[in-house]
Amino acid sequence: MAMDEAIFRVNQREDSLPTLRIYRWCPPSISLGYFQKIRDEVDVAACNRYHVDIVRRPTGGKAVLHENDLTYAVIAKEHNPLFTPDILGTYRIISGCIADSLSELGIYAEMSVDSRTSGDDSLKAVCFSSPSHFELLVNKRKICGSAQVRSRGVFLQHGSILLDFDPVKTCALLAPRKGDRERQIEKLRESVTSVYEQTGTEISVEKICHVLQRGFEKKLGIELVEGSLTGEEEALMTRLIKDKYTNNKWNMEGRGASRGY
Amino acid sequence: MKVFPDDLLYNREHAWVRVEGELATIGITDYAQENLGEILAIELPEVDSYVERDEPFGNIESAKGVFELMSPVSGEVVNVNEDILDDIGIINSDPHDTGWMIVVQIKDMEELDDLLDSREYHDFVIKEAEGN
Repeated sequence: MAMDEAIFRVNQREDSLPTLRIYRWCPPSISLGYFQKIRDEVDVAACNRYHVDIVRRPTGGKAVLHENDLTYAVIAKEHNPLFTPDILGTYRIISGCIADSLSELGIYAEMSVDSRTSGDDSLKAVCFSSPSHFELLVNKRKICGSAQVRSRGVFLQHGSILLDFDPVKTCALLAPRKGDRERQIEKLRESVTSVYEQTGTEISVEKICHVLQRGFEKKLGIELVEGSLTGEEEALMTRLIKDKYTNNKWNMEGRGASRGY
Repeated sequence: MKVFPDDLLYNREHAWVRVEGELATIGITDYAQENLGEILAIELPEVDSYVERDEPFGNIESAKGVFELMSPVSGEVVNVNEDILDDIGIINSDPHDTGWMIVVQIKDMEELDDLLDSREYHDFVIKEAEGN
């Protein structure tokens, strides 16, 4: 998270190239949307029992369990010609890159045209319970969720591509409201799918990363070049880790942490 | 095209300012709220806190994402609109008036010289919309 935000902040003051990061999480973690209220939406005690960390994102949207997923971050200027300055247009373009990548694995995903809900209020905190604009569905079941933050003409888009999905664990961690747990699990099972479920086999993460890289390159007509953090990004990331992303106040309560970076 | 009131000044991050003496009332423009769509959540600074020009004074969330609100002036926050915290829809329905967000005691009146008048802001958003 700190690395994504550092790249996002430095891009706001410099003439940086767009960045695509693809990563996994260790230990497994829940990322919360900027405005989410943790006490209403996450079972913190269950997270402790399962040794799952909790971190708050700078991006919006709902909570995601990062365990069997690939997370991506795209950071670019709103007016970069690869994208489009309008917000939904950016979701559409990035989803197009991922859809093309998934098709290389034999998974044919479509973009959702409208936001819809799962119809179960107790699942409202769970990202994968409901597709938003231009998120990716396979047979109406969500496989990739995404969210953005924008500031000073730069956007950061986060997304999570599910490799595997565990509705029981997701419910245990992310639906702390009392309710019919069996029904909640069934709802999630019906509305969410994953790469492994669709392919029927565990494809290597390296292969999926490679396919994603190629998907972005082909769709955008670019060549991705492996990079590393600049000195300024590195220094800011270190500051963000210390002051923000390991700070319980930010992770548990949010608020006020976008200033001074 | 939207009408932007003549008695307001604007920054390029789509915030407006109404200046009365040394006080600046700040909100987001009709163009901004329309682009964001239905606003779902907002975070504003507390009274007595300090905001810096061109630095975030808060955040706003719509179904499309989170957006940092950039302050057009520097100064101490002397009032926060509690009404929009109770009924956030006001920002969408009346952004230039009752949807105001904060009032700031302006530290440096010269900062106002860098802001756009309604005509200049109008031209700016036309250009931006063409880019879309």
